[in-house]
Amino acid sequence: MSYHRRRHNNRGYDDDFRREVYETPEQKLKSTIFKLGEVDPILEVPRITKQLLEEPALNAPVISEGFRIAVTEQPFKIPYYAALLRELYDPVEDVDESSTASPTLGRQILDDFWKGFQASLDKLAWRDMRLSIHLFAHLTMAQVITTQSMFELLRSFAAVLDEFGVSHGRAKKAALCASEGLMIAGPVIKENPSTNVIDIISAIQAYIESSADSKRLVQPTVALFSDSVTVEAADEILDSALATLQILNSSDFSQTAESYPQPYLVAPKPSSAPFELPSILVPPEVIELDSLHTDSGEDALVKKEEWAEFYIRIFDNDVTPDPTTPAGYAVRSGLLDLIDIYEVNRKECARLLLEFPKWTLPGTFKPKPGAPPQDGVSGKDWQLESTLIETILGSLFLLPESNYKSIYYVALVTELCKLSPSTIGPAVGKSIRKMYGLLSDGLDVEVALRFVDWFAVHMSNFNFQWVWKEWVPDLDLSIQHPKRTFMRRAIDLEIRLSYYDRILKTLPEPMQNPDMKLLPVEAPGPDYEYDDPSNPNHDAAQTVLNLLRGRAKAEDVMSHLQGLKNTLETADSDSNVDSIIRSIAVQSLLHIGSRSFSHFLNAIERYLPLLRNLAAGGISSGGSPSFEARKDILDAVIAFWKHSKHMVVIVYDKLMQYQIVDPTDVVAWTFLHGRQFVATEDSSSFDAFQWSLLKGALDKANGRVVIARRRVAALRKEEDDRAAREKASDQATMEVDAEAKPDEPVVESAALTTALKAFATLTREQRNALSRALNGFVDCLVSQSNPNVRAGEVIQEKAWHNRVNWNEKEWLAWETWGWYRHFCRTFSPYLRNYAKTLGAVSFARVGPAGDPAVELFRNIWNNATGQEA
Amino acid sequence: MAHVVTPLDQPSSYKDSQARVDRQKQNELLAKSSTLYVGNLSFYTTEEQIYELFSKCTTPEEGGGIKRIIMGLDRNTRTPCGFCFVEYYTHAEAMACLRYVSGSKLDERIIRCDIDLGYREGRQFGRGKSGGQVRDEHRADYDPGRGGWGAQAQRLEIERRREVEERYADAQEGPGAVAGGGGEWKEAEGAVETTLKRGRSPDEEGDRRGEARARLEETDHDAERM
Repeated sequence: MSYHRRRHNNRGYDDDFRREVYETPEQKLKSTIFKLGEVDPILEVPRITKQLLEEPALNAPVISEGFRIAVTEQPFKIPYYAALLRELYDPVEDVDESSTASPTLGRQILDDFWKGFQASLDKLAWRDMRLSIHLFAHLTMAQVITTQSMFELLRSFAAVLDEFGVSHGRAKKAALCASEGLMIAGPVIKENPSTNVIDIISAIQAYIESSADSKRLVQPTVALFSDSVTVEAADEILDSALATLQILNSSDFSQTAESYPQPYLVAPKPSSAPFELPSILVPPEVIELDSLHTDSGEDALVKKEEWAEFYIRIFDNDVTPDPTTPAGYAVRSGLLDLIDIYEVNRKECARLLLEFPKWTLPGTFKPKPGAPPQDGVSGKDWQLESTLIETILGSLFLLPESNYKSIYYVALVTELCKLSPSTIGPAVGKSIRKMYGLLSDGLDVEVALRFVDWFAVHMSNFNFQWVWKEWVPDLDLSIQHPKRTFMRRAIDLEIRLSYYDRILKTLPEPMQNPDMKLLPVEAPGPDYEYDDPSNPNHDAAQTVLNLLRGRAKAEDVMSHLQGLKNTLETADSDSNVDSIIRSIAVQSLLHIGSRSFSHFLNAIERYLPLLRNLAAGGISSGGSPSFEARKDILDAVIAFWKHSKHMVVIVYDKLMQYQIVDPTDVVAWTFLHGRQFVATEDSSSFDAFQWSLLKGALDKANGRVVIARRRVAALRKEEDDRAAREKASDQATMEVDAEAKPDEPVVESAALTTALKAFATLTREQRNALSRALNGFVDCLVSQSNPNVRAGEVIQEKAWHNRVNWNEKEWLAWETWGWYRHFCRTFSPYLRNYAKTLGAVSFARVGPAGDPAVELFRNIWNNATGQEA
Repeated sequence: MAHVVTPLDQPSSYKDSQARVDRQKQNELLAKSSTLYVGNLSFYTTEEQIYELFSKCTTPEEGGGIKRIIMGLDRNTRTPCGFCFVEYYTHAEAMACLRYVSGSKLDERIIRCDIDLGYREGRQFGRGKSGGQVRDEHRADYDPGRGGWGAQAQRLEIERRREVEERYADAQEGPGAVAGGGGEWKEAEGAVETTLKRGRSPDEEGDRRGEARARLEETDHDAERM
């Protein structure tokens, strides 16, 4: 239930309408707990304590359920929930003398809460576990939980780091549980002579050292020549936690009090015996049993890989918190949790983010403009808005992908701007400028792409107002310099979301200059090659176009094309008549479908038989190989939509969807002919547009395998269920026989056979597509037969420092490396599966060992596929 | 996570006023639907603009994507009248739009998204007396993006209108007037090796489209009740 009901009126629409819900007494009781601190948590604790103590005893489970939800969904209030539990654990005034024999309400709640924690543990619900540990740690400080048992709990999590073959995802989450618990409860744990905090800290340190290899692949800024595991512009989350613990430990955790509110410290030591947390073992990860294998025996179940998390730093330490310090880590992790938890409601999330200072120690953030002045605490006194934007962008720019879809983070920033335009706006502007600056200093190509995507969507929500003027001097840079690429892409994306004339208006005059190639000379529209009467095939194309316009039957169009082909062949024996016929047919189809996406779909659906025939090399006497035919189709699309990258992506997607072309065709085509939009002629480069085609094709191949796997699993389950039912009914009707019949072999249904066959075909297609992509990158960067000298040059340290003098070819080579890296880490789970076969084929074609480019290429591959270098 | 705040992907009060199934059945269908109703569009917004924004919620790696977009048209003039349906391949993608896109701007207007029972023939047309949407019948304000009051629209808008007015002049009614968008992957018949794939005859194709329609009709609840 939302208890902050606000209504937005959007031009007569009420977009926040909720039905009134009747609250049961249980819900009321829980919301009393949820609402703690709406005005002043310190003042409310005694009142709510009293109210809860008055509840009948049988309501204790409801109350502990309320605590469980409150702690895992409102972690910013945990210190106050600890204070409340402290009061309930050992009520100062005994309400009823006779009740002293039974456990106090606080103890009952804690008993119950522990059961909930156990359940989270069994499910490996890591975030819930970690936040529950926060509560336990605060309660340890409040002397409600014994120090020893808290320490043992944390040690159980640290023990995960020593497991043989532990996945990085599991290790990372366990390490964060242990470290954050220690950050909060460190002061009393360290005091206890029978515990040793170093055990935990060194376990984390040892793990970080052992996992350094894969870090380089996910750093948001790239130095291709460097082996360093740290980068200047970002902090890795485990590194931050370790650094924080080391600082805390060196001063016996005295800084904990400056990092976390401890409202419970005013209460005396409880008179009743402290709570002992039972000992636990973090259960192993569930291995999903899936007996599906590809036809060459690889495991078909793809598990997403988890990587190191580098959060980009945009501002200086005096503006936003440094997450490698105790107070900075506390703020940063608190905000990250909020962003993660409130993904279900970005509007509430934005509101809570702006209210966050309320839950931090005084002096953490600068007071709001207009609020009474307040002494900032030295080393803190940060700017809230900059901190929020930095943290959200940090999450958005995580590699290889963000936790949620990018658009969530983009929409969240938009909501913040709507709530507080005058304060958030400037922070957004500064962040854009800082990120734009990083473009010259090795900002990862994928981060750059998300940055530009955020920029365009953000601007589309705020009237496309940006001070483009300040970037005019950058028009002098090489046309492939990341800053020029950024501007071009930003304008392209803005036009997609709006329209040409609108965006043109927002640009200063020098940027509108066609020589700058920032945007096309006119609105990106179709270009029907045969429109021009001087085109030798103009008349022929018109006849095809007229048939299509008249909605002629596909077979009639086909026979017309056949006739056309014969005529062309007799007239001109030199040119490739097959290609011309395909081009005329496809461009004419696109032409009748060019009015809108729906028109295009209608055109395709009406002429599917024609397209399939063309794709298979039909309407040609010799029956040319069909890749040639499909390449011609893809060529015709880009010729027709040469002014609109967007349409090319859309059309290719649907051509794959309708199975006119295969993903592998698109992958191959992308490497061979996808450079049409690159400003320079360069046969071995790979840019963001090519990446969008490649990703579209590989996603399609992978998505089909996902669907096929689901279908097989569903059919198998159906059959198992049916077999079980039959068995049960057999047993019910049969007399118990001395000679039990052996289980009859299960006969696969026709549906299952078909599904398994489809699965085999699709995994083969998936492997082909991935293999073609890897080969493509080999050809671009390290081909033996056609070496790319520039690819070797741009990875040298000296060359990088001289990048102000780079020309477009050098920038393109650098970008190509970036996309290869991103290909490896993005598709790592799939590549890992096929690592042996793919690697063997592709690496047979690379240049000599010892060549730095070849070494780098191989290192990236090994890192991504989890092989020893 | 849904206890202390209401998730944005809960169904709202939006419903198809002409759907003839009860609320409970509707809710069951909505819980599986992958179609969105998108409202408060400018009359000039194109399908490609819609595609660009709504593709940000797709999960192609899970077999998702934008299946089709059906532009809402004025019954009489065959021009866009400010709403559309966006159909995805998966339910989760439609849900993501409710969380991330609904309430944000497209073409400088705040759009709203609602989960929808699924497109049925005829629903692409406005239901207002004048042919457009009912809401525009009673609107008293001046709204340049939705036809304004008349000829006072800004010059830019006039330029765009000229294009838009002709775009859907060919819009058809009746079965098959709206494309399906492409179904799931199917094994090519009798062709394992790609080089010898035979072309399909138009009749076979007709069958396949028939199938797609049959699937669509599973979600056509009115038929079920009649």
